Amino acid sequence: MTANRGRTIEIELLSPKQSDEKLEESLEKFAVKWRRAIDAGYMVCVPDNPMGNLAFQCTELIEELALPCPPGRVSVHLNTFHTKEDLDGILETMIRLGIRHLLIISGDGAVRLPKLRGEDIGQDVESVTSVELIRHVRREYAGCFDVGAAYNPYEPVEHEREKMRRKIDAGAEFIITQPIIADHPEMDTILGFGLPVTVECWMSRKLHLLSDCVGYEIPEDTPYDPLENLRALMLRYPRCGVYLAICGFKTQFHLLGELFDDVERRIASGETGKVNQ
Amino acid sequence: MRIVACVKQVPATTEVKIDPETGRLVREGVRSVMNPFDLYAVEQAVLLCERLGGETIALSMGPPQARASLQESLYLGADRAILLSDRAFAGSDTWATSYALARAIETLGGVDLVICGKQAIDGDTAQVGPGIAAHLDWPQVTYAAAMTDCTSRRMRLKRMNEDGYDLVEVDLPAVVTVVKDINQPRVPTLKRVLAARKMDIDVWTAETIGADTSCLGLDGSPTRVVRTAPPPPRAAETRVIQGDPEHCARAMVHELRARSIA
Repeated sequence: MTANRGRTIEIELLSPKQSDEKLEESLEKFAVKWRRAIDAGYMVCVPDNPMGNLAFQCTELIEELALPCPPGRVSVHLNTFHTKEDLDGILETMIRLGIRHLLIISGDGAVRLPKLRGEDIGQDVESVTSVELIRHVRREYAGCFDVGAAYNPYEPVEHEREKMRRKIDAGAEFIITQPIIADHPEMDTILGFGLPVTVECWMSRKLHLLSDCVGYEIPEDTPYDPLENLRALMLRYPRCGVYLAICGFKTQFHLLGELFDDVERRIASGETGKVNQ
Repeated sequence: MRIVACVKQVPATTEVKIDPETGRLVREGVRSVMNPFDLYAVEQAVLLCERLGGETIALSMGPPQARASLQESLYLGADRAILLSDRAFAGSDTWATSYALARAIETLGGVDLVICGKQAIDGDTAQVGPGIAAHLDWPQVTYAAAMTDCTSRRMRLKRMNEDGYDLVEVDLPAVVTVVKDINQPRVPTLKRVLAARKMDIDVWTAETIGADTSCLGLDGSPTRVVRTAPPPPRAAETRVIQGDPEHCARAMVHELRARSIA
Protein backbone atom coordinates (compact mmCIF):
# COMPACT_ATOMS: atom_id res chain seq x y z
CA MET A 1 0.00 0.00 0.00
CA THR A 2 1.18 3.52 -0.69
CA ALA A 3 0.91 6.59 1.46
CA ASN A 4 -2.25 7.49 -0.44
CA ARG A 5 -5.00 7.04 2.09
CA GLY A 6 -4.81 3.28 2.12
CA ARG A 7 -5.57 3.03 -1.57
CA THR A 8 -2.88 1.76 -3.92
CA ILE A 9 -2.06 4.29 -6.62
CA GLU A 10 0.05 2.65 -9.29
CA ILE A 11 1.84 4.72 -11.90
CA GLU A 12 2.90 2.83 -14.99
CA LEU A 13 6.32 3.68 -16.38
CA LEU A 14 7.35 2.24 -19.73
CA SER A 15 11.01 1.33 -19.73
CA PRO A 16 13.23 2.40 -22.65
CA LYS A 17 13.25 0.02 -25.60
CA GLN A 18 16.36 -1.89 -26.56
CA SER A 19 16.25 -0.22 -29.97
CA ASP A 20 16.19 3.29 -28.51
CA GLU A 21 18.77 5.36 -30.37
CA LYS A 22 18.76 8.04 -27.68
CA LEU A 23 19.05 5.54 -24.87
CA GLU A 24 21.03 7.66 -22.40
CA GLU A 25 18.48 10.48 -22.75
CA SER A 26 15.57 8.08 -22.33
CA LEU A 27 17.15 6.53 -19.25
CA GLU A 28 17.53 9.94 -17.70
CA LYS A 29 13.87 10.79 -18.38
CA PHE A 30 12.82 7.43 -16.98
CA ALA A 31 14.80 8.04 -13.79
CA VAL A 32 13.26 11.51 -13.35
CA LYS A 33 9.73 10.11 -13.71
CA TRP A 34 10.53 7.27 -11.34
CA ARG A 35 11.78 9.60 -8.63
CA ARG A 36 8.80 11.94 -9.03
CA ALA A 37 6.36 9.06 -8.66
CA ILE A 38 8.18 7.61 -5.66
CA ASP A 39 8.57 11.03 -4.01
CA ALA A 40 4.83 11.62 -4.43
CA GLY A 41 4.10 8.42 -2.52
CA TYR A 42 2.83 6.31 -5.42
CA MET A 43 3.72 2.80 -6.49
CA VAL A 44 5.77 2.56 -9.69
CA CYS A 45 4.90 -0.26 -12.11
CA VAL A 46 7.01 -1.36 -15.04
CA PRO A 47 5.50 -3.61 -17.72
CA ASP A 48 7.48 -6.48 -19.19
CA ASN A 49 8.23 -6.04 -22.91
CA PRO A 50 4.74 -4.72 -23.73
CA MET A 51 3.47 -5.54 -27.24
CA GLY A 52 6.48 -7.83 -27.65
CA ASN A 53 8.85 -4.90 -28.01
CA LEU A 54 12.22 -5.56 -26.41
CA ALA A 55 12.65 -3.18 -23.51
CA PHE A 56 14.86 -3.13 -20.45
CA GLN A 57 13.77 -4.95 -17.33
CA CYS A 58 12.64 -3.03 -14.28
CA THR A 59 15.18 -4.76 -12.05
CA GLU A 60 18.19 -3.89 -14.20
CA LEU A 61 17.00 -0.29 -14.49
CA ILE A 62 16.77 0.02 -10.71
CA GLU A 63 20.27 -1.35 -10.27
CA GLU A 64 21.91 0.52 -13.14
CA LEU A 65 20.27 3.86 -12.41
CA ALA A 66 20.41 3.46 -8.62
CA LEU A 67 16.69 4.17 -8.38
CA PRO A 68 15.01 4.36 -4.98
CA CYS A 69 13.04 1.27 -4.17
CA PRO A 70 11.10 1.77 -0.92
CA PRO A 71 9.27 -1.31 0.40
CA GLY A 72 5.86 -1.75 -1.18
CA ARG A 73 6.32 0.99 -3.74
CA VAL A 74 7.55 -0.90 -6.79
CA SER A 75 5.60 -3.39 -8.86
CA VAL A 76 7.23 -5.60 -11.44
CA HIS A 77 5.27 -7.17 -14.27
CA LEU A 78 6.50 -10.52 -15.47
CA ASN A 79 5.38 -12.47 -18.51
CA THR A 80 6.07 -15.92 -19.89
CA PHE A 81 8.54 -14.83 -22.57
CA HIS A 82 11.83 -15.43 -20.80
CA THR A 83 14.39 -18.17 -20.53
CA LYS A 84 14.33 -19.92 -17.18
CA GLU A 85 17.73 -18.44 -16.42
CA ASP A 86 16.53 -14.89 -17.10
CA LEU A 87 13.33 -15.52 -15.16
CA ASP A 88 15.27 -16.65 -12.11
CA GLY A 89 17.61 -13.69 -12.51
CA ILE A 90 14.70 -11.24 -12.43
CA LEU A 91 13.03 -12.91 -9.44
CA GLU A 92 16.25 -13.16 -7.46
CA THR A 93 17.07 -9.52 -8.15
CA MET A 94 13.58 -8.57 -6.97
CA ILE A 95 14.20 -10.41 -3.71
CA ARG A 96 17.55 -8.69 -3.30
CA LEU A 97 15.91 -5.31 -3.90
CA GLY A 98 13.07 -6.07 -1.52
CA ILE A 99 10.36 -5.92 -4.20
CA ARG A 100 7.37 -8.10 -3.35
CA HIS A 101 4.65 -6.82 -5.70
CA LEU A 102 4.61 -9.01 -8.79
CA LEU A 103 1.98 -9.01 -11.54
CA ILE A 104 2.16 -12.14 -13.66
CA ILE A 105 0.70 -12.15 -17.14
CA SER A 106 1.00 -14.39 -20.20
CA GLY A 107 2.39 -11.49 -22.20
CA ASP A 108 3.02 -10.63 -25.81
CA GLY A 109 5.45 -12.75 -27.77
CA ALA A 110 7.92 -11.77 -30.44
CA VAL A 111 10.56 -13.56 -32.46
CA ARG A 112 13.33 -12.22 -30.23
CA LEU A 113 11.61 -13.28 -27.04
CA PRO A 114 12.11 -16.86 -25.88
CA LYS A 115 9.00 -18.63 -24.65
CA LEU A 116 9.19 -20.29 -21.27
CA ARG A 117 8.62 -24.02 -21.69
CA GLY A 118 6.66 -26.32 -19.44
CA GLU A 119 9.71 -28.47 -18.76
CA ASP A 120 11.65 -25.38 -17.66
CA ILE A 121 9.36 -25.01 -14.68
CA GLY A 122 8.60 -28.67 -14.10
CA GLN A 123 5.05 -28.57 -15.41
CA ASP A 124 3.60 -30.91 -17.99
CA VAL A 125 1.91 -28.36 -20.24
CA GLU A 126 2.20 -27.64 -23.92
CA SER A 127 2.22 -23.90 -23.42
CA VAL A 128 3.07 -21.92 -20.32
CA THR A 129 0.50 -19.25 -19.48
CA SER A 130 0.19 -16.92 -16.53
CA VAL A 131 -1.52 -19.76 -14.61
CA GLU A 132 1.55 -21.99 -14.77
CA LEU A 133 3.91 -19.13 -14.07
CA ILE A 134 1.92 -18.05 -11.02
CA ARG A 135 1.98 -21.62 -9.76
CA HIS A 136 5.71 -21.86 -10.34
CA VAL A 137 6.51 -18.61 -8.53
CA ARG A 138 4.28 -19.47 -5.60
CA ARG A 139 5.87 -22.90 -5.31
CA GLU A 140 9.53 -22.08 -5.94
CA TYR A 141 9.59 -18.67 -4.30
CA ALA A 142 7.10 -19.32 -1.52
CA GLY A 143 6.57 -16.26 0.65
CA CYS A 144 8.83 -14.02 -1.42
CA PHE A 145 6.21 -12.19 -3.47
CA ASP A 146 2.68 -10.84 -3.46
CA VAL A 147 1.52 -12.31 -6.74
CA GLY A 148 -1.20 -10.75 -8.83
CA ALA A 149 -3.03 -11.61 -12.02
CA ALA A 150 -4.75 -9.64 -14.74
CA TYR A 151 -8.43 -9.79 -15.64
CA ASN A 152 -9.62 -8.75 -19.06
CA PRO A 153 -13.34 -7.95 -19.00
CA TYR A 154 -13.32 -7.54 -22.78
CA GLU A 155 -12.62 -11.23 -23.35
CA PRO A 156 -15.56 -13.68 -23.52
CA VAL A 157 -16.67 -13.59 -19.91
CA GLU A 158 -17.09 -17.31 -19.25
CA HIS A 159 -13.60 -18.02 -20.48
CA GLU A 160 -12.08 -15.15 -18.54
CA ARG A 161 -13.89 -16.04 -15.33
CA GLU A 162 -12.78 -19.65 -15.59
CA LYS A 163 -9.22 -18.56 -16.26
CA MET A 164 -9.30 -16.19 -13.30
CA ARG A 165 -10.44 -19.03 -11.08
CA ARG A 166 -7.45 -21.07 -12.28
CA LYS A 167 -5.13 -18.14 -11.59
CA ILE A 168 -6.53 -17.86 -8.08
CA ASP A 169 -6.18 -21.61 -7.56
CA ALA A 170 -2.57 -21.26 -8.69
CA GLY A 171 -1.98 -18.62 -6.06
CA ALA A 172 -2.94 -15.17 -7.38
CA GLU A 173 -3.52 -12.80 -4.48
CA PHE A 174 -4.72 -9.65 -6.20
CA ILE A 175 -6.30 -8.63 -9.50
CA ILE A 176 -5.59 -5.83 -11.93
CA THR A 177 -8.15 -5.11 -14.63
CA GLN A 178 -7.70 -3.94 -18.18
CA PRO A 179 -8.64 -0.24 -18.65
CA ILE A 180 -12.15 0.52 -17.47
CA ILE A 181 -13.98 3.44 -19.02
CA ALA A 182 -16.53 4.81 -16.53
CA ASP A 183 -17.74 1.36 -15.56
CA HIS A 184 -18.02 -2.18 -16.83
CA PRO A 185 -20.69 -4.76 -16.04
CA GLU A 186 -17.99 -7.34 -15.34
CA MET A 187 -16.63 -5.30 -12.41
CA ASP A 188 -19.11 -6.94 -10.02
CA THR A 189 -17.74 -10.34 -10.98
CA ILE A 190 -14.18 -9.16 -10.54
CA LEU A 191 -14.94 -7.79 -7.08
CA GLY A 192 -16.78 -11.01 -6.31
CA PHE A 193 -13.56 -13.03 -6.44
CA GLY A 194 -12.83 -11.61 -3.01
CA LEU A 195 -9.29 -10.44 -3.74
CA PRO A 196 -7.93 -6.89 -3.66
CA VAL A 197 -8.69 -5.27 -7.01
CA THR A 198 -6.84 -2.53 -8.82
CA VAL A 199 -8.73 -0.83 -11.64
CA GLU A 200 -6.73 0.28 -14.62
CA CYS A 201 -7.41 3.79 -15.88
CA TRP A 202 -6.35 4.75 -19.39
CA MET A 203 -4.66 8.13 -19.03
CA SER A 204 -4.21 8.99 -22.69
CA ARG A 205 -6.80 11.19 -24.38
CA LYS A 206 -6.47 8.94 -27.41
CA LEU A 207 -9.15 6.49 -26.43
CA HIS A 208 -9.14 4.87 -29.87
CA LEU A 209 -5.76 3.31 -29.03
CA LEU A 210 -7.74 0.93 -26.84
CA SER A 211 -9.59 -0.49 -29.84
CA ASP A 212 -7.49 -3.65 -29.96
CA CYS A 213 -7.85 -4.12 -26.23
CA VAL A 214 -11.62 -3.81 -26.09
CA GLY A 215 -12.21 -5.77 -29.28
CA TYR A 216 -14.18 -3.14 -31.20
CA GLU A 217 -13.27 -0.01 -33.10
CA ILE A 218 -13.33 3.17 -31.03
CA PRO A 219 -13.61 6.18 -33.37
CA GLU A 220 -10.52 8.39 -33.36
CA ASP A 221 -12.47 11.52 -32.45
CA THR A 222 -14.15 9.99 -29.39
CA PRO A 223 -14.06 12.60 -26.62
CA TYR A 224 -12.42 11.31 -23.47
CA ASP A 225 -11.19 13.05 -20.36
CA PRO A 226 -8.81 10.65 -18.59
CA LEU A 227 -8.66 12.65 -15.35
CA GLU A 228 -12.45 12.69 -15.08
CA ASN A 229 -12.54 8.98 -15.78
CA LEU A 230 -9.98 8.44 -13.03
CA ARG A 231 -12.07 10.53 -10.63
CA ALA A 232 -15.21 8.59 -11.54
CA LEU A 233 -13.51 5.22 -11.10
CA MET A 234 -12.10 6.18 -7.71
CA LEU A 235 -15.51 7.37 -6.55
CA ARG A 236 -17.25 4.34 -7.97
CA TYR A 237 -14.78 1.86 -6.49
CA PRO A 238 -13.49 3.48 -3.30
CA ARG A 239 -11.88 0.29 -2.02
CA CYS A 240 -10.02 -0.48 -5.22
CA GLY A 241 -6.57 0.63 -6.13
CA VAL A 242 -6.03 2.44 -9.39
CA TYR A 243 -3.44 1.77 -12.06
CA LEU A 244 -2.63 4.77 -14.23
CA ALA A 245 -1.57 3.58 -17.69
CA ILE A 246 0.44 6.03 -19.79
CA CYS A 247 0.12 8.84 -17.31
CA GLY A 248 1.37 12.13 -18.78
CA PHE A 249 4.07 13.55 -16.57
CA LYS A 250 3.98 16.96 -18.24
CA THR A 251 0.24 17.50 -18.33
CA GLN A 252 -1.36 15.21 -15.74
CA PHE A 253 0.97 14.16 -12.99
CA HIS A 254 0.93 17.49 -11.13
CA LEU A 255 -2.88 17.42 -11.09
CA LEU A 256 -3.15 14.04 -9.43
CA GLY A 257 -2.66 15.14 -5.81
CA GLU A 258 -5.52 17.63 -6.02
CA LEU A 259 -7.73 15.07 -7.75
CA PHE A 260 -7.06 12.48 -5.04
CA ASP A 261 -7.82 15.05 -2.32
CA ASP A 262 -11.10 15.88 -4.04
CA VAL A 263 -12.00 12.19 -4.28
CA GLU A 264 -11.14 11.77 -0.61
CA ARG A 265 -13.40 14.65 0.39
CA ARG A 266 -16.28 13.39 -1.69
CA ILE A 267 -15.99 9.86 -0.36
CA ALA A 268 -15.87 11.23 3.19
CA SER A 269 -19.09 13.09 2.46
CA GLY A 270 -20.71 9.87 1.29
CA GLU A 271 -20.53 10.43 -2.44
CA THR A 272 -19.63 7.19 -4.15
CA GLY A 273 -20.79 5.56 -7.34
CA LYS A 274 -21.41 2.21 -5.71
CA VAL A 275 -21.86 1.04 -2.15
CA ASN A 276 -21.76 -2.73 -2.54
CA GLN A 277 -18.00 -3.22 -2.18
CA MET B 1 39.50 -18.60 -30.99
CA ARG B 2 39.16 -15.67 -33.29
CA ILE B 3 35.68 -15.73 -34.80
CA VAL B 4 34.23 -13.38 -37.36
CA ALA B 5 30.46 -13.03 -37.45
CA CYS B 6 29.21 -11.44 -40.66
CA VAL B 7 26.14 -9.25 -40.35
CA LYS B 8 24.04 -7.29 -42.81
CA GLN B 9 21.68 -4.38 -42.46
CA VAL B 10 18.49 -5.19 -44.37
CA PRO B 11 15.12 -3.53 -44.92
CA ALA B 12 12.53 -4.62 -42.36
CA THR B 13 10.67 -7.60 -43.80
CA THR B 14 7.38 -5.87 -44.31
CA GLU B 15 8.89 -2.97 -46.18
CA VAL B 16 10.81 -4.63 -49.01
CA LYS B 17 10.19 -2.92 -52.35
CA ILE B 18 11.82 -3.44 -55.73
CA ASP B 19 12.51 -0.61 -58.16
CA PRO B 20 10.70 -1.72 -61.33
CA GLU B 21 13.19 0.20 -63.50
CA THR B 22 16.44 -1.22 -62.11
CA GLY B 23 15.17 -4.43 -60.57
CA ARG B 24 17.12 -3.57 -57.41
CA LEU B 25 15.90 -3.33 -53.83
CA VAL B 26 14.80 0.13 -52.78
CA ARG B 27 16.69 0.90 -49.59
CA GLU B 28 16.20 4.65 -49.30
CA GLY B 29 13.68 5.75 -46.71
CA VAL B 30 13.01 2.21 -45.57
CA ARG B 31 13.44 1.19 -41.95
CA SER B 32 16.40 -1.13 -41.55
CA VAL B 33 17.16 -3.94 -39.14
CA MET B 34 19.89 -6.48 -38.68
CA ASN B 35 19.26 -9.47 -40.90
CA PRO B 36 17.40 -11.80 -38.49
CA PHE B 37 19.54 -14.85 -39.36
CA ASP B 38 22.68 -12.91 -38.49
CA LEU B 39 21.54 -12.61 -34.88
CA TYR B 40 22.06 -16.35 -34.62
CA ALA B 41 25.51 -16.06 -36.21
CA VAL B 42 26.59 -13.46 -33.68
CA GLU B 43 25.09 -15.38 -30.78
CA GLN B 44 26.88 -18.56 -31.86
CA ALA B 45 30.20 -16.75 -32.16
CA VAL B 46 29.77 -15.20 -28.72
CA LEU B 47 28.73 -18.54 -27.20
CA LEU B 48 31.80 -20.26 -28.64
CA CYS B 49 34.11 -17.53 -27.36
CA GLU B 50 32.49 -17.75 -23.92
CA ARG B 51 33.15 -21.49 -23.88
CA LEU B 52 36.55 -21.65 -25.54
CA GLY B 53 37.96 -18.17 -25.02
CA GLY B 54 38.87 -15.74 -27.75
CA GLU B 55 37.20 -12.84 -29.45
CA THR B 56 34.19 -12.26 -31.65
CA ILE B 57 34.54 -9.71 -34.40
CA ALA B 58 31.37 -8.50 -36.10
CA LEU B 59 31.96 -7.60 -39.74
CA SER B 60 29.64 -5.84 -42.14
CA MET B 61 29.81 -4.10 -45.47
CA GLY B 62 27.51 -1.24 -46.31
CA PRO B 63 26.82 2.46 -46.02
CA PRO B 64 27.37 4.30 -42.71
CA GLN B 65 23.83 3.36 -41.60
CA ALA B 66 25.00 -0.26 -41.40
CA ARG B 67 26.72 0.71 -38.15
CA ALA B 68 23.40 0.04 -36.43
CA SER B 69 23.70 -3.71 -37.03
CA LEU B 70 27.27 -3.70 -35.83
CA GLN B 71 26.25 -1.84 -32.72
CA GLU B 72 23.58 -4.45 -32.10
CA SER B 73 26.27 -7.12 -32.50
CA LEU B 74 28.27 -5.38 -29.79
CA TYR B 75 25.14 -5.38 -27.60
CA LEU B 76 24.94 -9.13 -28.10
CA GLY B 77 28.49 -9.60 -26.90
CA ALA B 78 30.84 -9.11 -29.87
CA ASP B 79 34.21 -7.77 -28.76
CA ARG B 80 34.89 -5.66 -31.79
CA ALA B 81 33.09 -4.40 -34.89
CA ILE B 82 34.33 -3.47 -38.33
CA LEU B 83 32.36 -1.76 -41.09
CA LEU B 84 33.60 -1.95 -44.67
CA SER B 85 32.37 1.29 -46.13
CA ASP B 86 33.67 2.90 -49.27
CA ARG B 87 32.18 4.18 -52.52
CA ALA B 88 34.22 1.48 -54.25
CA PHE B 89 31.94 -1.16 -52.65
CA ALA B 90 28.71 0.38 -53.98
CA GLY B 91 26.73 -1.86 -56.31
CA SER B 92 28.60 -5.03 -55.34
CA ASP B 93 26.75 -8.28 -55.92
CA THR B 94 27.21 -11.33 -53.71
CA TRP B 95 30.48 -12.31 -55.43
CA ALA B 96 32.07 -8.87 -55.02
CA THR B 97 30.70 -8.56 -51.50
CA SER B 98 32.12 -11.91 -50.46
CA TYR B 99 35.44 -10.91 -52.03
CA ALA B 100 35.56 -7.75 -49.91
CA LEU B 101 34.58 -9.61 -46.75
CA ALA B 102 37.20 -12.29 -47.45
CA ARG B 103 39.86 -9.60 -47.94
CA ALA B 104 38.86 -8.07 -44.60
CA ILE B 105 39.13 -11.48 -42.91
CA GLU B 106 42.59 -11.94 -44.40
CA THR B 107 43.54 -8.46 -43.25
CA LEU B 108 42.46 -9.31 -39.72
CA GLY B 109 44.59 -12.43 -39.77
CA GLY B 110 44.46 -15.40 -37.42
CA VAL B 111 40.73 -16.00 -37.92
CA ASP B 112 39.68 -19.55 -37.01
CA LEU B 113 36.04 -19.42 -37.94
CA VAL B 114 33.63 -17.27 -39.94
CA ILE B 115 29.94 -17.55 -39.09
CA CYS B 116 27.17 -16.11 -41.27
CA GLY B 117 23.40 -16.32 -41.11
CA LYS B 118 22.09 -18.81 -43.67
CA GLN B 119 20.93 -15.97 -45.92
CA ALA B 120 19.82 -12.36 -45.85
CA ILE B 121 16.11 -11.74 -45.97
CA ASP B 122 16.39 -9.02 -48.63
CA GLY B 123 18.18 -10.86 -51.43
CA ASP B 124 17.57 -14.40 -50.12
CA THR B 125 20.54 -15.66 -52.13
CA ALA B 126 22.44 -17.55 -49.40
CA GLN B 127 25.54 -16.94 -51.50
CA VAL B 128 27.75 -14.65 -49.42
CA GLY B 129 28.83 -17.24 -46.84
CA PRO B 130 29.84 -19.79 -49.52
CA GLY B 131 31.38 -16.93 -51.50
CA ILE B 132 33.63 -15.99 -48.57
CA ALA B 133 34.72 -19.64 -48.29
CA ALA B 134 35.49 -19.74 -52.01
CA HIS B 135 37.55 -16.55 -51.90
CA LEU B 136 39.46 -17.76 -48.82
CA ASP B 137 39.70 -21.31 -50.16
CA TRP B 138 38.39 -22.59 -46.80
CA PRO B 139 35.97 -25.45 -46.20
CA GLN B 140 32.36 -24.48 -45.64
CA VAL B 141 29.35 -25.96 -43.88
CA THR B 142 26.01 -24.41 -44.71
CA TYR B 143 22.68 -24.55 -42.81
CA ALA B 144 24.29 -25.61 -39.53
CA ALA B 145 21.68 -26.36 -36.87
CA ALA B 146 24.06 -27.43 -34.10
CA MET B 147 27.74 -27.35 -33.25
CA THR B 148 29.30 -29.97 -31.00
CA ASP B 149 32.77 -31.03 -29.95
CA CYS B 150 34.21 -27.68 -30.88
CA THR B 151 37.91 -27.08 -30.47
CA SER B 152 40.11 -24.44 -31.99
CA ARG B 153 41.09 -26.95 -34.70
CA ARG B 154 37.98 -28.90 -35.58
CA MET B 155 34.26 -29.08 -34.96
CA ARG B 156 31.29 -31.32 -35.55
CA LEU B 157 28.10 -29.90 -36.96
CA LYS B 158 24.56 -30.99 -37.54
CA ARG B 159 23.71 -29.67 -40.98
CA MET B 160 20.11 -29.24 -42.03
CA ASN B 161 19.06 -30.65 -45.39
CA GLU B 162 15.69 -31.12 -47.03
CA ASP B 163 15.19 -34.59 -45.59
CA GLY B 164 16.76 -34.22 -42.17
CA TYR B 165 20.31 -33.67 -40.99
CA ASP B 166 23.87 -34.49 -42.01
CA LEU B 167 26.44 -34.93 -39.27
CA VAL B 168 29.70 -33.49 -40.54
CA GLU B 169 33.13 -32.63 -39.23
CA VAL B 170 35.18 -29.74 -40.47
CA ASP B 171 38.74 -28.63 -39.91
CA LEU B 172 39.26 -25.01 -39.03
CA PRO B 173 39.59 -22.43 -40.36
CA ALA B 174 36.20 -22.74 -41.98
CA VAL B 175 33.08 -20.82 -42.92
CA VAL B 176 29.78 -21.89 -41.37
CA THR B 177 26.31 -20.56 -42.14
CA VAL B 178 23.70 -21.12 -39.46
CA VAL B 179 19.94 -21.62 -39.23
CA LYS B 180 17.67 -20.53 -36.41
CA ASP B 181 17.71 -23.87 -34.63
CA ILE B 182 21.31 -23.38 -33.57
CA ASN B 183 20.63 -21.16 -30.55
CA GLN B 184 18.35 -18.62 -28.94
CA PRO B 185 19.90 -15.16 -29.31
CA ARG B 186 20.17 -13.51 -25.93
CA VAL B 187 18.31 -10.37 -24.97
CA PRO B 188 21.10 -7.90 -24.17
CA THR B 189 21.29 -6.55 -20.65
CA LEU B 190 21.25 -2.83 -19.96
CA LYS B 191 24.74 -3.04 -18.50
CA ARG B 192 26.08 -4.65 -21.67
CA VAL B 193 24.24 -2.19 -23.94
CA LEU B 194 25.60 0.81 -22.08
CA ALA B 195 29.13 -0.59 -22.25
CA ALA B 196 28.78 -1.44 -25.95
CA ARG B 197 27.58 2.06 -26.80
CA LYS B 198 30.98 3.34 -25.70
CA MET B 199 32.85 0.97 -28.02
CA ASP B 200 34.22 2.19 -31.33
CA ILE B 201 33.26 0.71 -34.67
CA ASP B 202 36.24 0.59 -37.02
CA VAL B 203 35.58 1.74 -40.57
CA TRP B 204 37.73 0.10 -43.22
CA THR B 205 37.95 1.12 -46.87
CA ALA B 206 38.95 -0.78 -49.98
CA GLU B 207 42.45 0.49 -49.38
CA THR B 208 42.53 -0.79 -45.79
CA ILE B 209 41.84 -4.33 -46.95
CA GLY B 210 44.12 -4.06 -49.98
CA ALA B 211 41.29 -4.91 -52.34
CA ASP B 212 41.64 -4.97 -56.11
CA THR B 213 39.02 -2.35 -56.98
CA SER B 214 38.27 -4.07 -60.29
CA CYS B 215 36.80 -6.89 -58.18
CA LEU B 216 34.45 -4.53 -56.32
CA GLY B 217 31.27 -2.61 -57.10
CA LEU B 218 29.45 -2.98 -60.39
CA ASP B 219 32.66 -3.71 -62.31
CA GLY B 220 33.47 -6.64 -60.05
CA SER B 221 29.94 -8.02 -60.06
CA PRO B 222 29.10 -10.68 -62.63
CA THR B 223 25.43 -10.76 -61.58
CA ARG B 224 22.94 -9.00 -63.87
CA VAL B 225 19.31 -8.67 -62.84
CA VAL B 226 17.41 -9.64 -65.99
CA ARG B 227 13.90 -9.71 -64.60
CA THR B 228 12.18 -9.67 -61.23
CA ALA B 229 8.74 -10.99 -60.40
CA PRO B 230 6.82 -11.44 -57.19
CA PRO B 231 6.68 -15.01 -55.91
CA PRO B 232 3.47 -16.93 -56.53
CA PRO B 233 0.96 -16.51 -53.73
CA ARG B 234 1.51 -18.96 -50.93
CA ALA B 235 -1.06 -21.71 -50.78
CA ALA B 236 -3.27 -21.59 -47.72
CA GLU B 237 -2.42 -24.23 -45.19
CA THR B 238 -5.15 -26.24 -43.56
CA ARG B 239 -4.41 -28.41 -40.58
CA VAL B 240 -6.98 -30.63 -38.99
CA ILE B 241 -6.42 -31.32 -35.32
CA GLN B 242 -8.29 -34.37 -34.19
CA GLY B 243 -9.31 -35.45 -30.73
CA ASP B 244 -11.51 -34.23 -27.94
CA PRO B 245 -12.26 -30.49 -27.76
CA GLU B 246 -9.87 -29.84 -24.89
CA HIS B 247 -7.01 -31.56 -26.67
CA CYS B 248 -7.78 -29.74 -29.93
CA ALA B 249 -7.94 -26.37 -28.24
CA ARG B 250 -4.67 -26.98 -26.40
CA ALA B 251 -2.92 -28.19 -29.54
CA MET B 252 -4.15 -25.19 -31.52
CA VAL B 253 -3.09 -22.69 -28.88
CA HIS B 254 0.27 -24.42 -28.60
CA GLU B 255 0.80 -24.20 -32.35
CA LEU B 256 -0.24 -20.55 -32.50
CA ARG B 257 2.08 -19.68 -29.65
CA ALA B 258 4.93 -21.64 -31.18
CA ARG B 259 4.51 -19.48 -34.28
CA SER B 260 4.23 -16.35 -32.15
CA ILE B 261 0.77 -15.69 -33.54
CA ALA B 262 -0.99 -15.80 -30.19
